[in-house]
Amino acid sequence: MTDKREITLTVNGTERTVEAEPRKLLVHAIREDLDLTGTHIGCDTGNCGACTVLKDGEPIKSCLTFAVQADGSEIMTVEGMEDLPEASGELHPLQEGFREEHGLQCGYCTPGMIMSGKALLDENPDPEEGEIREAISGNLCRCTGYQNIVKSIEYAADELNKEPAAADGGTVTAEQRFADDDFDCGVENCCGGPSTETPHVEGADPQFDDVGGDDT
Amino acid sequence: MSSESDNTTEPTEYQHDDDGGPQPEKHCGHGRGGMGEEVTRKEDKRFITGRGNYVDDIKKPRMLHCEIVRSPHAHARIEDIDGSRAMALDDVVAVLTADDLLEHGLATMPTLMDDTQDVLVNDKVKFQSQEVAAVIATDRYAAKDGAEKVEVEYDVLDPVIGAEEALEDDAPVIREELDDQDDNHIFDWETGDAEATDAVFDAADVTVEEQMEYQRLHPAPIETCGCVADWDPGDDKMTVHMTSQAPHAHRTLFSQVSGIPEHKVRIVSPDVGGGFGNKVPIYPGYVVAAAASYVLERPVKWVEERSENIQTTGFARDYDMTGELAATENGEIKGVKVDVLADHGAYNAAAQPSKFPAGFFNIFTGSYDIEAAHGSLTAAYTNTAPGGVAYRCSFRVTEAVYLIERMVKVLADELDLDPAEIRRRNFIPSDAFPYESATGWNYDSGDYEKALDKALEMADYDHYREEQQRRIEEDADKLIGIGISSFTEVVGAGPGKQCDIAGIEMFDSADLRVNPTGNAVLRVGVQTQGQGHETTFAQIIAEELGMDVDNIVVEHGDTDTEPYGLGTYGSRSTPVAGAAAAVAARKVRDKAKSIAANELEAAEEDIEWDRESGEFHVAGAPERSITITEIAAGAYMNHPGSEEPGLEATNYYDPPEMTYPFGSYIVIVEVDRETGEVDFEKFVAVDDCGNRINPMIIEGQIHGGLAQGIGTAMMEHVTYDDNGNVTGGDFMNYLLPTAKEIPNFDTGHTVTPSPHHPIGAKGVGESPTVGSPPAIVNAVVDAMSHSGVSHVEMPMTPDAVWEALDEAELTLEPSANVDFAFDTSEEPADD
Repeated sequence: MTDKREITLTVNGTERTVEAEPRKLLVHAIREDLDLTGTHIGCDTGNCGACTVLKDGEPIKSCLTFAVQADGSEIMTVEGMEDLPEASGELHPLQEGFREEHGLQCGYCTPGMIMSGKALLDENPDPEEGEIREAISGNLCRCTGYQNIVKSIEYAADELNKEPAAADGGTVTAEQRFADDDFDCGVENCCGGPSTETPHVEGADPQFDDVGGDDT
Repeated sequence: MSSESDNTTEPTEYQHDDDGGPQPEKHCGHGRGGMGEEVTRKEDKRFITGRGNYVDDIKKPRMLHCEIVRSPHAHARIEDIDGSRAMALDDVVAVLTADDLLEHGLATMPTLMDDTQDVLVNDKVKFQSQEVAAVIATDRYAAKDGAEKVEVEYDVLDPVIGAEEALEDDAPVIREELDDQDDNHIFDWETGDAEATDAVFDAADVTVEEQMEYQRLHPAPIETCGCVADWDPGDDKMTVHMTSQAPHAHRTLFSQVSGIPEHKVRIVSPDVGGGFGNKVPIYPGYVVAAAASYVLERPVKWVEERSENIQTTGFARDYDMTGELAATENGEIKGVKVDVLADHGAYNAAAQPSKFPAGFFNIFTGSYDIEAAHGSLTAAYTNTAPGGVAYRCSFRVTEAVYLIERMVKVLADELDLDPAEIRRRNFIPSDAFPYESATGWNYDSGDYEKALDKALEMADYDHYREEQQRRIEEDADKLIGIGISSFTEVVGAGPGKQCDIAGIEMFDSADLRVNPTGNAVLRVGVQTQGQGHETTFAQIIAEELGMDVDNIVVEHGDTDTEPYGLGTYGSRSTPVAGAAAAVAARKVRDKAKSIAANELEAAEEDIEWDRESGEFHVAGAPERSITITEIAAGAYMNHPGSEEPGLEATNYYDPPEMTYPFGSYIVIVEVDRETGEVDFEKFVAVDDCGNRINPMIIEGQIHGGLAQGIGTAMMEHVTYDDNGNVTGGDFMNYLLPTAKEIPNFDTGHTVTPSPHHPIGAKGVGESPTVGSPPAIVNAVVDAMSHSGVSHVEMPMTPDAVWEALDEAELTLEPSANVDFAFDTSEEPADD
């Protein structure tokens, strides 16, 4: 098994080269060859999502992907979040959201959750609760019960929708940001998706319409 | 104030006036961040930026990888193991079998229940996936290649699956290697007063009985178990970074098993990705990695795959229970009986440190003032993985609470009484504390009716009862069910008189050092796996010393630097180590008074400490005050002659009693009569954990535990087929709830401080896992109880609920609007 191949990945904006056997999983290349240990392994079967990274902007499970399959692609891991422009040199609003809303406990699923959250907000900047739950349903968390993770992503959406400042000094809303292009996330009543009489979001569970959780 | 000796509890000093109303604003770095403040977590930044340091993140020079060869059979004699083809691979360094371990006395290890478990099987495999051999190689892929080349010859034996089958006369004997073991019986246990209980049952107006199984679960933290063992022949020292909830106890056990003196063993528990009881026991993989490192003189990493975690490490529950209640016709419960058949797997490895074989199961009288109680339990070996660990609970409390809370619902239905009302009629009255239960527990404090009333109000109970009735009358497609659980937990193991690990009493410890510049380091003997100790323990010090929470660092998990403690599980960190931290801070405060007297040129007895400002001042002259920062400088630069320099204190705290958190949960479900699907309409959780350190963290703990309770009630089950194959042994088959199955929770609280705890706190992490499953089952049953349904077994999958509906003649034919994922119009083709 010494048939190693050289592959090139652009990881968090930096080009990196890895010598990998064809059978090496992307998650092992990221963690062990590139020493980016923020991406975790929790199940080996693609269920838990602790290994979620973005490959060319799409969330993937890096434990189900061979490193060679990612040759030539752009990979983003949790370690790249602070370098994004929205982070302004500090924490990205998603990271901030997880801290402010207590969206993590043991922290093991957190990087994967953050990456799934990023993929969602990149596509759908103002998601409904049901859409958030759908988007993170491939990421298991055993600690939080998800409620605060949902809030963390909502926090980030709110923060991101305040930026960037519009030319008049005000803020640009998600609707404005997407008003000029043909972006369509495919969801009814969202981003140009088909409209129905009764607002209904595909994938959204009606039980989440009424958000409780007030500590009365 | 006189100086305190160890374990002075000083219980009344901290009085929280929290009436359950809105909590203080979040701490934003400007306040002190003491008790009751929602301080954001100090530990978060490393986790959200990918800088956490979990076991599998550790990489050492020359490190080798360990892969374990596991048995495909549940019960088989090993005829031969041939590792030569594995050894022929370039990157394989060693193949270890029981013979190699025997040379070093490491072929077996003790379990926490004084049983002896094979590290690598020497003679007979006793459960599927048991450890048979280990391959050590230069990388993880090479180790797996090697494991595939190890050839093992088995003589397959009939497996014994299920405790009932195991106790049949003709069952094959699993543990024949043990002296005097000629069957699969492990132990019998009895608690309470059989005669008195029989008497109240004979005299009762009404009795009810129900059989219920608490199915086998797995704690399934998202990080599996693993370690990096590193034997240093230069210093004759073994360092093991491991996923440990109890590093100090594990060091003592490692030393006992290996013969390496305890001071030459260092256990480090770095960031741990969830524990929930799974990381309390020692597992063979740890011992194999340590043995391999010792033999090869190189660091060795062993990390489980998920299937190895679920199939071989400590499972939880697996109690088959029959409960009975005796009551008057107006619902006054007079007696409770329970009989349990417990499946312990192939070894007795229940990992519970109490002096009782079934842990705290005899808390099964719950929140109720019951005259007589009796419990009996029989435990059996089976050809399944060993366990019976306390999955997010104190040692069988979960099973006990499930039993009593289910039985109260059964009784309410029998008597046609409202399940809230029947609870009210039987609660231990709030003025009856401290209260001694019929099985001998000393409850510290409680106000059960207050919590129930609050939950009923939050749930809009009366409205849903009306809605439930309306739907029944209208023969609606979806039924409403309302479930209540008014549980009492017993946590904080524990008094040395009741709890120990390998004879070591279950105290815990804190070591507080205030630096010359006025900040401090607190080292504790417990270990966090997500509970937020680095924040909450700092808050205790902030409260007790008047320091800012940002100026306190909490260290844990390294046996070389932390004081000895028994670890984190059983909701014991706050009740035990939290008490130790408060007492250590108070000791420092005492010494600080002497330094303050010196600095302020006053007599020591005239120095007072003001909790509000956090400052020390001369009695009657608040303007003559001094802060802890100034005192810290004085302790190192201008210490009074009567005192040693420095400002630090250590406390080892042996709690006088357990603490008894409680709460009332109300679950409202909608049951679909066509599909058996259950939707959560409302989920209310009112908890009382005494005085609250950080409401944000408490609420997070409650959310997480409730989600686990939903997993328990609706989805999770480690299953076996008749051949002993694990059929629920990975995340494809052992289903954890996702964000789509978990609803939003409405949380509330009441505050009834523990009278014997220094800060009046009780521990909370486990209440929701313990309290919620019966509330959920009660809700689903309640939706059907008008048609005579008295019980549905967990996990209540749509299939199981549909069966219950069908039996009660409540099912409806699927209507046209039900979407089938598959076309059912055609007959399936024959195979």
